[in-house]
Amino acid sequence: MKKKYNLQLKRILLPLIALRLMASQAQSQDTTASPRFVHGSYYTCAWNTTITLGDFNDWVGHASPAGFDLGGRYFIKAGLVAGFNIGWQRVSQSYTNETFYGSAGQAITATNYRFTWMIPFQGVIAYHLIPDKIISPYLGIGIGGDYMEHHLLVQEYDIYETRWGLSLIPEIGALVKFGKSSRWAALVAFNYKWTTNGIGLYIDRSSKNMQMLNLKFGLAFKMR
Amino acid sequence: MKRQISYCFLVLILITSCSKYPPASERLTEELAIYTQFDVSIAFNDYQTFAIVPAVAFIGGNDSATITSPDALALLNRIAQNMVSRGFKQVAATANPDLGINVTAIRSTITTVYSPGWHWSYPGYYPAGWWGYPGYKYGYPYYPAYMTTYATGSVIIELIDLQMATDNMVMVRWNAFIRGVLNNRYPQTDVLNTVDQAFKQTPAIKTF
Repeated sequence: MKKKYNLQLKRILLPLIALRLMASQAQSQDTTASPRFVHGSYYTCAWNTTITLGDFNDWVGHASPAGFDLGGRYFIKAGLVAGFNIGWQRVSQSYTNETFYGSAGQAITATNYRFTWMIPFQGVIAYHLIPDKIISPYLGIGIGGDYMEHHLLVQEYDIYETRWGLSLIPEIGALVKFGKSSRWAALVAFNYKWTTNGIGLYIDRSSKNMQMLNLKFGLAFKMR
Repeated sequence: MKRQISYCFLVLILITSCSKYPPASERLTEELAIYTQFDVSIAFNDYQTFAIVPAVAFIGGNDSATITSPDALALLNRIAQNMVSRGFKQVAATANPDLGINVTAIRSTITTVYSPGWHWSYPGYYPAGWWGYPGYKYGYPYYPAYMTTYATGSVIIELIDLQMATDNMVMVRWNAFIRGVLNNRYPQTDVLNTVDQAFKQTPAIKTF
């Protein structure tokens, strides 16, 4: 009788114990994540300035303040985020007394207005070193693509080319929260960008890749 | 406060995004532009001699004439010097030259479309008959050769092939359109430098 009672007790208790253990394991995961403020997601909107380098600098030497960048980041593990960036940038400069050579024997010496506008888009992985602090620096890398239009305006001509390329962008930056419980933060970031996009508008000079530095200032908003 | 900061950022983005270059209509009013185009199908070292017209054909408003002022002669001399420096020998127009050079100055004429040859009917312009091909027309073997301009005070230099005239056509193998140079803002030295630049940007013109 006692043996039968013990058996029935085991049948009832064992599933309950198993459920309890599962519940306690889930709870422990939650309690380790919450205090470090590393779950949820945040979105960024930034003013993006461009400093051209290398062949890109030969095309347009001036740094440009024209650009913006939108991004989203999702915490996938403590401090580790994955997300995206998409933006728009434009660099431009005019060069007086410059000669453009066409492909059919033409040449024009006049003021050359050169500009490039681009739509960069990347997938991003970043690591926040101290995600639960007011100032949260991070290191990240973006891999993606670029759509670019290079324009050369000479007199009545608008000579241009469009290009798609791959890009690699290591970035360092920081979020500076406006308060310990604030969902808003300031964003400051600096990155180096290398892209397979080139420029081939001048037949006597062309580039096979382009580099630039970007300095971003903006806002971040944390969803949850 | 945060909303205001966001608005400020949006305004900043819009301001920085709106920088724009002048449209073609404004670019065309720039002071100076030097267009050249040559026939890529020929080798200039097949030609050895050239002659140049004795006066600059002048088209100004409704008037036209030929001018032999010191400035005009200096212009012709500079063109000839450039040809000589590239190995061509200058001869008289009656000495059966391989190449002829026509020079036209345009002033006070608002040209909306410039296509080579539009000025041929003006009195003062040297027709193909002057070069020994009466009844012939000039032809342009290369394309495109159309330009639009609102500028005044331009110089047109045309290098004419007198060796291979066919089908009642005398071909122009190179032309230079120096726009905006005769507007009284440029001293004569600048005008002559634009001639040098026109040759410089056409290195194919040489006998060697």
